[in-house]
Order: sequence, then structure tokens, then C-alpha cells
Amino acid sequence: MRTLLNFLKKFGNIFLFVLLEALAFYLLASKPNYHSIKLSKALNATTAFVNEKVNRASDYFTLVEINRQLLNENIELRNAMQRIYLNSEISTFSVTDSLYRQQYMYILARAVNNSVNKQKNYITLNKGTLNGVRKDMAVIGPDGIVGVIIESGRNYSIAMSALNLDFRLSARLSKNDYFGSLTWDGSDVNCLNLNEIPHHVSIAEGDTVETTGYSAVFPEGIMVGTISEFSVSGGDFYNIKVKLATQFKKLNNIYVIVNLKKEEQQEIESDIQITR
Amino acid sequence: MLNTILKYAGLFILLIAIQVLLMNNIQFSGFVNPYIYILFILLLPFETSYWLILLLSFITGFVIDLTSGTMGLHIAASVFAGFLRPYVLGLISPREGYEEGDLPGLNAYGFRWFITYVLIIVAFHHFVLFYLEVFRFEYFFRTLLRVLLSTGFTILFMIIIQVIVIRR
Repeated sequence: MRTLLNFLKKFGNIFLFVLLEALAFYLLASKPNYHSIKLSKALNATTAFVNEKVNRASDYFTLVEINRQLLNENIELRNAMQRIYLNSEISTFSVTDSLYRQQYMYILARAVNNSVNKQKNYITLNKGTLNGVRKDMAVIGPDGIVGVIIESGRNYSIAMSALNLDFRLSARLSKNDYFGSLTWDGSDVNCLNLNEIPHHVSIAEGDTVETTGYSAVFPEGIMVGTISEFSVSGGDFYNIKVKLATQFKKLNNIYVIVNLKKEEQQEIESDIQITR
Repeated sequence: MLNTILKYAGLFILLIAIQVLLMNNIQFSGFVNPYIYILFILLLPFETSYWLILLLSFITGFVIDLTSGTMGLHIAASVFAGFLRPYVLGLISPREGYEEGDLPGLNAYGFRWFITYVLIIVAFHHFVLFYLEVFRFEYFFRTLLRVLLSTGFTILFMIIIQVIVIRR
């Protein structure tokens, strides 16, 4: 008994250290569980609340920029409307109610907390489940993609920014529809990498890159950015740097996109995987 | 005793607030992320028992993890910092040893002593933190640069915080 006590006296602290580190690594490796989510939600709600107050003051300095974005968006919407009017004048344009449904719905939100300086950046939005924001919804800004919702509380939710080492998105060249996957390498906050474009495809600097809609998260054709640089690597694929259309450092008004048919798509896709 | 506890509780809240509201908002293309919250562990009195340092490191890391949504990351780094503290203090102790009741701050044993003490622990803390965050060797040298730059800025901010706030 005494030897045990002596032993503990001598090495107890080391044990405690190893125990605490093990706990840390366990927490790091495990998926967030109920209690940690509850706790971090409570804390995030407080920090988000404070951040929102701070934001409200700093908003005034970005009004010019936001105004410009809104004007641009208005012009685009007006143009889109023209197209719709033209379409509806064609007499053969018919709508079958049971199939012709709205697929996407937009929810306006504001970024109340946002970082670009980490390797894994996240954005806090001021809308939560009460406003219909759920996990795995797309987030875009007036200029282009922003990220994907990874968690939602009652009044706030958290999106994984495109500037995150874990971010993956399928994207295509808008001029010829070749698609690849977008990732961020953690170095430049203005650029993403587009991989898996085979090098027989002709590309040029300034080509537009947009989303594909394959993932059922992002709608098709949302602006990602333009090619700023490309090179041929050893393999069969290009190394393409895409300059982001969204200015992540100046994120303010953003939209959460609800895909109303997502469940249907995923259901049918999982059916296929079972039979395969 | 109660006075000390209250003082350190105040320091704890203050440092967490500075970390979350100011430090986390520093934008310098991702290379400078100062983490000044471990100043709390660094400033605990000399005679604090080892297990208490480890536990307090754990709690500090836990709170930071909660605010940044990275469960486990800051715990691992700050428990490591707490683990190193007694060894580093032993390594650089003055000839006559430490006096009880002192706290290892800027005005305890001179500027040079403080810088050495802080530099070693902050560098190790940041090293663990940044490599765990990236969790791949792909960006080894860039991460190393981030560690070095952030360490420099963390120490700078720690000195500023001590001069402005804690002396009062």
C-alpha cells in the first residue's frame, strides 16, 4: 500500500497529464456529442449575440459596398425577369402542376462572425432552425459561393466557409461543362484550387467556374470565381487556381439556400447504392 | 486566499474576452493568430500545485474550445503548456530560487527572464496547436512559419496586456 502511495506521489502528476491529454485527443477525434453541442450552442449564442452588437456598429462603414452589391443584384434579377417574360410568351410553354415545383428557396441571413485567418474557417449566421436553416444547406453571397451549413441552433447557425481545409465542392467550367472538385489549400484567402480537370480540355485565364448541383446542396450555376492561374502537373490533370468571386473578408449579407427536393434526390440515390 | 481566487477568476474572464473579441478577429492572411489566453496558466503563482495547473489548463482550453467550436484542440495544447510550466520554471530559476507568493509576471525577475519563460512555453503551445489544427504534414513549412509569427505576436500582446491591465 505504501509503495503504491509513493508511486502515485511520484508519478501521479504525469498520470494526470497523460489522462487529460488522452481526453483531449478523444474529444478531438470523436464526433460532437449531445452535451458538447448543447454547451457550445449555449456559449456560441452568447458570443454570437455580442458579435452581432459589434457588427451593427461596424455595418455603417460597409454601407457603400453593400449598396453596390444590391444594385448589381437588382440588375441581374431584372434581366432574369425579362427572360422569364419572353419564355411565357411562347404559347407551347406549359406547366404540369405535380411536377413543376419550386426547387430552391432563399433565406436572407447575416454573417455575425466570420474568420479568414484560420486553416479551418467557420461563419456564424444570425438565422437558425426557427427560420428554417438546417444542416447541409448551401450558403451564398451576392457575388458567389460562401459555404455550407454544418450546424444550426435555434437562432444562430454555423457554416463551414469555403476557406476551410475540409471544404469540398463539385464545380465546373461554365463554357464547356467539364467538372472537377474544389478545395482550399489554406494559403490564399482569395483562391481555391480546382482539381480533376483533364488537360486535353482547353481553358484560359478568366474562364468562369460555377457550381454543378451534383451534391444536392448547391443549385446549378452559382458563381464560384474565375480562373486566375493554371499549370499542367505531372499527371493528366491541370492545377487550376480559381479566384473567388466572393470577398470573404467583407462578408455581410448572405443567403441560405433550401433545396426543397433534396431528400427525394438523396433517397433515390441511396436506393441505387443498395442494389449496386 | 479567497482574494487570490477572485483575482484569478477576473483574470480568466478578462483573458478569454480579449481572446474571443479581439485576438480571434486579427486578419493577416492567416499567418498571425495570437493565442494570449495561456497567459492565465503562465501567471499562476509559483507555489501552485502541479495537478491544479494541469486542471486549470484543461479548463482554459475547454472554454476556448467551446467558443471556437474546435473541441479538444485547445485542450491538448494548453494542457501541454501547463505540463511544461514547472520544468521551464526549474530550468531558468534564479540562483536563490523563487519566492513564495510571487507570480511569474513581467516584473518578477526582470524582462529577460520573463521573455525566456514565455517564449519557451508559448512556442511549444503554438507548435502543438497549429500542427494539430492542420493535422497533415503537407504544409509543414508554412505551418512552421505560422507558429513562429504567431508566437512573436502572442508574446508582444502578452506584454502589452500585462503593462496595461494586470499591473492595476
